[in-house]
Amino acid sequence: MTTSQRVRPTEIRASGALPRWRTIDLLTCAFLGVAFGVAYWAWGLAYETPSNLISAGFPPLSALLNWPWLVAGIVGMLVIRRPGAAVFTELLAAVVSALIGTQWGLTTLISGFVQGLGVELGFAAFAYATYRWAPLLLGGFLGGAFEAVYEWYSWYQEWDFGYKVAYLFLFGASVAVFGSLLSVWLTRFLAYVGALNAFPPGQEVRERNAV
Amino acid sequence: MTTTDRRGGAASAATPSGAARGGARAPAGAGVRVEDLTWRPYGRSRPVLAGLDLTIEPGERVLLAGPSGSGKSTLLRAVAGLLLTADSGDLSGSVTIDGQAPQDRPGSVGLVLQDPGSGVVASTIGRDVAFGLENVELPRGEMPPRVAATLAEVGLTMAADSPPAALSGGESQRLALAGALAMEPSVLLLDEPTAMLDAATAGSVRGLVDVVTRVRGLTLVVVEHRLTGWVDLVDRLVVLDAEGAVLADGPPEAVLHEHAGRLVAEGIWVPGWPEPEPLEIALTPWPSGAAASGLVRPDDVVVAARDVTVEHRTRRLGAESRTTTAVSDVDLDVRAGRVLALVGPSGSGKTSLMGALGGLTAPTSGRVDVASALTPATGPPPPHEWASTDLAKVVAWVPQRSASALLGRTVRDDVLTTPRALGLDAVVSGRRADEVLAALGLDRLGAVDPRHLSGGEQRRLAVAAAILHGPAVLLADEPTVGQDRLTWSAVMGILEASRDEGAALVLTTHDEGAIGRADETLHLSAPPPQPPPETPERRPLVARVGPLALLAVGLSVLPLPALLETWRQGLAVLGVEVLLGLIGLVAPGPGRRPARRVRGVLTRHAPAALAVLGVAWSAWLLGGRDVEVASGAGLRVLCLVVPSAFVVGYLDPERLGDHLAQRLRLPPRPVVAATAALQRVQSFDALWDELMKTRRVRGVRADRGLVARLREAVVVTGGLLIGALGQAATLALAMDARGFAEARRRTWAAEATWRVADTVAIVAGVAVVAAGFAARLLLPA
Repeated sequence: MTTSQRVRPTEIRASGALPRWRTIDLLTCAFLGVAFGVAYWAWGLAYETPSNLISAGFPPLSALLNWPWLVAGIVGMLVIRRPGAAVFTELLAAVVSALIGTQWGLTTLISGFVQGLGVELGFAAFAYATYRWAPLLLGGFLGGAFEAVYEWYSWYQEWDFGYKVAYLFLFGASVAVFGSLLSVWLTRFLAYVGALNAFPPGQEVRERNAV
Repeated sequence: MTTTDRRGGAASAATPSGAARGGARAPAGAGVRVEDLTWRPYGRSRPVLAGLDLTIEPGERVLLAGPSGSGKSTLLRAVAGLLLTADSGDLSGSVTIDGQAPQDRPGSVGLVLQDPGSGVVASTIGRDVAFGLENVELPRGEMPPRVAATLAEVGLTMAADSPPAALSGGESQRLALAGALAMEPSVLLLDEPTAMLDAATAGSVRGLVDVVTRVRGLTLVVVEHRLTGWVDLVDRLVVLDAEGAVLADGPPEAVLHEHAGRLVAEGIWVPGWPEPEPLEIALTPWPSGAAASGLVRPDDVVVAARDVTVEHRTRRLGAESRTTTAVSDVDLDVRAGRVLALVGPSGSGKTSLMGALGGLTAPTSGRVDVASALTPATGPPPPHEWASTDLAKVVAWVPQRSASALLGRTVRDDVLTTPRALGLDAVVSGRRADEVLAALGLDRLGAVDPRHLSGGEQRRLAVAAAILHGPAVLLADEPTVGQDRLTWSAVMGILEASRDEGAALVLTTHDEGAIGRADETLHLSAPPPQPPPETPERRPLVARVGPLALLAVGLSVLPLPALLETWRQGLAVLGVEVLLGLIGLVAPGPGRRPARRVRGVLTRHAPAALAVLGVAWSAWLLGGRDVEVASGAGLRVLCLVVPSAFVVGYLDPERLGDHLAQRLRLPPRPVVAATAALQRVQSFDALWDELMKTRRVRGVRADRGLVARLREAVVVTGGLLIGALGQAATLALAMDARGFAEARRRTWAAEATWRVADTVAIVAGVAVVAAGFAARLLLPA
């Protein structure tokens, strides 16, 4: 991450009233959701073995490979910058991976919803006014924590409470750190290559280069 | 009949259906007035259009021409009132249609995009045509006659429930036209409608445009690079210069007479001018033996295909997978230093055959042999099994979508990607890179990120990057589509330079100019459409259930984790689930027996096996190392996912959208956006495949190593996202052109009724939960 002393350009907010989604906002969230859904499906097939390996000795460690599942919602929010973007993108990614066929079936939808909701709350806590590290860390942590609580119930009832708490914190922290890093990197990458010209991050890049 | 058509007599005589529709608004052209229009996208120092004035009379037919980047498409979007739909920037001046803003009446300005498939929103052609009607809240009952009349008007005779994916290029263009015409536009805007079509199909599409605009008296603005054909049916030719200013304006003959030379110099295809010649490009030769080209003597066979058949399995969400034969029993020899053109209508398997020849895809049957001088040292497996660098040395591929072929951080890096991966001499490859980039006019862009180039520049770059290392086989998929005269010369020049070095060149194309320069031409024909089976397949009970009920069944298991305590209880509930699921798969009634029901369910269970094992293991480890505890946890997870495996295959996204919006009253716009995106899951599969193939054939595919593979997955996901955003932007234009922007309330072409089968399915879901309660009571821990 850059810690340069340069003055950063002011953050650009979504055009028009925040809740008034343009067609391209809706479609971009939807297509991001679908693209991530396909990637999630592939990740679901690839990650199971390494996840079982690293958690063989201490199962809560499997949380460390779970953070990619939240990237869709975070990227959706970073790009669109409107209320609901995280839930919409994440839920759609879950729908797509479930329809293609994941190991979790349609219950993936519940995961998608709670993960998106956690991320969403992180940004809502800052009134959708800033898209820097504070809401990212909070939203990422909440998204991971919500999913962990859902998994306590659906997956890991046999664990002791101490393990469950360890799982929750590992999950939340890994999303807040790794999930945020990957999401920020992906968003910057997309903005840099000119794919986000109709959205605030793309406009920020253009403004920065405009001088 | 309330025809107030300007072109009166001819129109009413020739009206088959056009004037009969509704009778409310007589279709007639509107006047377009563009005043002092200036548009500067953010991030560009100079405006694309600067103070443009243009007046088009009602019913006038205008052809808009100009070099690449002159703002023709931008002007079309401005006239449609959609400049700010997919971009942001400074816009000033005004555009009015008969004195009103363009989108005041949704659909009054119809816009058809260059790639007609990019605007498809629905899973059937009838539903696609109805999209605009839904947005303007036409009552459902009035839709079918409007849709049928419009499909007939554009000459689409297949059933209204045919999938858009089954259409050929020309038919797709007709469908896009129907989508615009259904909304009774007064102005029709066409952005390069025939650029992707072969000559005969282009002619028939032009004829159709001629008829519908004449019959309806529409104002027409067409953008095209190739003026031949269009100049005969328009009243006026407007030429923009590279700065976006009007260079010439008047009757086509007069403008061409006066400006033809200048137009040709700008790259526009002007009727009556000779075909351009490929550029002469001289390349520093590789030291002998360094490159694969030249290892096989000229005219000797490089690749031999015998009995090659290629089948595709396509799967749409919520439908059975279908296998289609793309190529059947082809025998073909590809020879060094010669050009082979694969021609044929879309769907005839040109691309699939090319992929099999170059080891990009495995043939379903038959064999592909590469000359022994070129096979890798590791032995002679078929080329589709070769390692990435082995394949890259011999084969090069220019995919149709050049944007997915970009691999380097800079233009120069990009063309040097393969020579570096192959460890070729840096001095020679550097010299060749300079030569190729200079010949293509890309030399000043060497340090630029290739993704910032224009589409035409990217295509030239893709061709350059394919030939630099001297491959023995060069596969180019439609390399000249949409090129102007100048880029055509450049692309053909590079391809022929590679041929002169000894490469066997295989082109798929419908460009007469390129076909004319080939040594050999192979005509492929589309396989005849499979006749519908005489007796339809019986549908399983679960397929008769609506999407909401299926979703509810899949989620009905959520209380189970709170109920199930032991493995006995889990096993009992699992038994009930499997029993109900199997009943759901029963297909009573007349007809053929449906195939692969149980296998489908089992396949969907396969990934669950590992998840179940993982959960059971963690429960064993953290739950007291007790086998009963572990099996209880595993069975509980199985109980959660088994019902989904029975129902997921029967969930159709479009129907789900219909039901979510109409029965649950979810907001329509997000629902429509989501279903439109879900229609295209397959295209992401294809894009992923293409990105990986590109990496493999360029020699940079991560064949082994976990870190390398993860890195590659992230990079390719980035490519997938870029593709997704591009599709979203284009679709946003197409949808807003059909009135979606303000469709906060809309009607729905399809009903969403609750049926008995839905209630039965819900009862089954409740029965599973009830079984959970019963098991807890009857089999206590």
